[in-house]
Amino acid sequence: MYNIPASFRKAKNFYLSLLEKSPRFLHWIISPSLILFGAFIVNGIIILLCGYNPFKAYVAAFLGSFGSPRAIGETLVKSTPYLMTGLSVAIAFRCGIWNIGAEGQFLLGALAATFFGTKVATLLPHTSWIAVPICLLLAIFAGGLWGVIPAILKVTRGVNEVISTIMLNYIAIHFVSLMIDGGPLQEASKTGPQSDPIVQWVTLPRLFDSHRVHPGIAIAVVLAIILAFVLFRTTLGYQIRAVGEGADAAKAAGFSVAYNTIRVFILSGALAALGGAIELMALTPRLTESFSPGYGYTAIAVALLAKLHPLLTIATALLFGALSKGAFAMEAEVGISKQVTWMMQAIILLFVIGFGSLSLFQKHNQTN
Amino acid sequence: MESENILELQNISKTFGDLVAVDNVNFELQEGEIHAILGENGAGKSTLMNLIYGLYQPTDGSIHISGIKKQFKSPRDAIANGVGMVHQHFMLVENLTVAENIALTVAKFSSRIEKTYPHDHEIISQNGNSNKLKLSKFRYKSDEAIQITESLSKQFGLTVDPSASIRSLSVGLKQRVEILKALAVDARILILDEPTAVLSPQEVTGFFNILRKLKDDNRSILFISHKMKEVLEISDRITVLRHGKKVYNGITGELSTRELAREMIGEDITEIERKQNKPTNDLVLNISNLTVRGNRDEIAVKGLKLKAFRGEIVGIAGVDGNGQRELAEAIMGLRTIKSGTVEILGRKPIGTKNIRQCSVGYIPEDRRTMGVITSFSITENLILNVPHLENISKWSMIDQASMSQTAMKLIENYDIRPPKPTIPASALSGGNQQKIVLAREISPQPDLLIAVNPTRGLDINAAQYVHKNLFKQRENSKSVLLISTELDEVLKMSDRLYVMSKGKLFEATAHRDDIEALGLLMTGETDTNV
Repeated sequence: MYNIPASFRKAKNFYLSLLEKSPRFLHWIISPSLILFGAFIVNGIIILLCGYNPFKAYVAAFLGSFGSPRAIGETLVKSTPYLMTGLSVAIAFRCGIWNIGAEGQFLLGALAATFFGTKVATLLPHTSWIAVPICLLLAIFAGGLWGVIPAILKVTRGVNEVISTIMLNYIAIHFVSLMIDGGPLQEASKTGPQSDPIVQWVTLPRLFDSHRVHPGIAIAVVLAIILAFVLFRTTLGYQIRAVGEGADAAKAAGFSVAYNTIRVFILSGALAALGGAIELMALTPRLTESFSPGYGYTAIAVALLAKLHPLLTIATALLFGALSKGAFAMEAEVGISKQVTWMMQAIILLFVIGFGSLSLFQKHNQTN
Repeated sequence: MESENILELQNISKTFGDLVAVDNVNFELQEGEIHAILGENGAGKSTLMNLIYGLYQPTDGSIHISGIKKQFKSPRDAIANGVGMVHQHFMLVENLTVAENIALTVAKFSSRIEKTYPHDHEIISQNGNSNKLKLSKFRYKSDEAIQITESLSKQFGLTVDPSASIRSLSVGLKQRVEILKALAVDARILILDEPTAVLSPQEVTGFFNILRKLKDDNRSILFISHKMKEVLEISDRITVLRHGKKVYNGITGELSTRELAREMIGEDITEIERKQNKPTNDLVLNISNLTVRGNRDEIAVKGLKLKAFRGEIVGIAGVDGNGQRELAEAIMGLRTIKSGTVEILGRKPIGTKNIRQCSVGYIPEDRRTMGVITSFSITENLILNVPHLENISKWSMIDQASMSQTAMKLIENYDIRPPKPTIPASALSGGNQQKIVLAREISPQPDLLIAVNPTRGLDINAAQYVHKNLFKQRENSKSVLLISTELDEVLKMSDRLYVMSKGKLFEATAHRDDIEALGLLMTGETDTNV
């Protein structure tokens, strides 16, 4: 309210009045688009300072990620872990749970799948119809378990979940290292810090021979649709949103904050873990220490940019998938390092945090 | 009437989108007068004050201070021009002491103090008292702050312990500190937004004495209120606003209470009659030996006993912060009970959900945090409790059609404005947010209704509407527990009357007509159970 430069205030009011006049569904599109536009400009300046042509770079990135069926397929593949972890973060944030632990939950899911795929599956009938569902369920269970720990700490001891989930990330990361580097899941030849490849009947099949598109993408999209339905059309989703938006009012209404915190944390952990398992089962048959380039952290940007809406998360996950696919193209064709892409992701996140508050109705808060 | 106009508003207007909050208002405030602004909720009182205080900028028109045209970009400008405001919700740093709070203001506005008191920063008031107002630069010295506070409070007769922390003060004392803060920067115009809402009758008397003293010091006071009685007692002139327009301006006493009310709402109000109730022996609520801790782990409710029967309204009067909130929350299962029992319809339900399912409605004290979720739409807020949600859902799925049907019906019946089911509650005025809560909680006609300050912030018509509904509950042989800080309301509504003070209940039905005795009970002067 105070000390905001007049020009900025005018611009903001103009923007808000524009938003007011536009149809409702556009509200969900306009501000994320503006945020992206701003981020692209800032990032373009950085590319320029590095001595490259930003337009060339963006064109290369775009063609690299959407220019051919093959590129699109690869973009979809890269989007899947972002979507799964993004949904995990979105559902938790909706309930007012600041779950930063998607990274650890993602890894735990992959670890569970590795354990099943290398140690247990051989004892079961050698058929995908049995092994794959069991493997996915095991990953869900592992992720849920990893989510229940911070939930119980928060509910019973009042431990801030931001701290506990970050700590649990470290535990998960190093636990994975321990398991595949000298631990029981290390490859039989003991040459490097990685697991054996999971057996063939636990892997998710490729849908086409020429590229890596797999059924996990469809699973993720269906889950996003289901989550959107749950969130906006069921009593469960209503309670989750009520607890997230106004915990005291939710309590007075008769909803249990503790109970909802626990079940959403489990759900959130399970989603991220399922993402980890899908990634492992469809793409990399081995678990390595560099299995996740920080999906669980980037997921926060994915979810926030989507305004925590599961359906919009599909779009933002696609964007982040395209960014990481496009990064390879930028490097190959223009010569820009992939680091620019990681910077881009961080810049988007900053824009989301900085301008996320620019939504409709904010102006009317103090009319009386 | 010959004194100079210290403040003049000329043709001032303020619009928000399509809404005209203040419509072409002319207004003068004279030096040394107490000027009351009367108006219903949403009449534009607060908007007008916020314009004077620089929180809003007028869409049209101009503000003149002592004849000079001014433009306030922020409260900082307003304060620099001698305008001070005491908000309804105090702007004090709870963790700091009184002196530290005063020092914060003095340090922030030292340039204004230097300008107004050039001679070694001395205030010389009309009655010849003087005191120094100076803080060392760069370093905070607590004795200086205490000295400043002491001299200020001595000068204006506002006694308060400078080294007490704000947290430990009663509401009345906090208000004093707020006034001191305004005086520390030599506010010539003091805006008081509903200042008596939080005070007991005795405190109000003391507060009025302070106002008179400030008036004698030739300061001007803008007094916003909807309590006619107080306005008539304290003010010199009255301005009435209705729908953003000035509809009346005149000397106090010119119009009677009734005529003023007509100006405010544009029509005559019909008082609702309280019919004699038929007492029953059908017990709805039975509380015995209830002890509950407050937020700071203090004992907020002490061994309390209370019974409520079908077909009656039990009123609990009392000043804010005497355990009323904790009592209501304990009944609703929102607060852990230390000892004792709460029985509803012969059962002892555990947890808010189960209590809600025993046909209990709850109008919480704090509507913004407990009553509504401001980011939810009106529709979503209208189904915000367990029984409602169960009514409109099948197999955990919300039936969209029956949800919007329920909402449309309630919006119409309770006249929630604007009647747009999809806009968020944050876009509504406080009164309309309260209507959402009422619609949701009263419409299912619960056997027991816990209503805490149900009409706070409502205009006369809306308040009447609430009262009518509470009476209807009683006629339908339901039970209502009315906890309110508005003594008039409790007196008017309740069949049996209690006063709550320091966590205890005192039977007060016999003292209905003795405001003095009730006031003493409310301030806890009498410790015996009368």
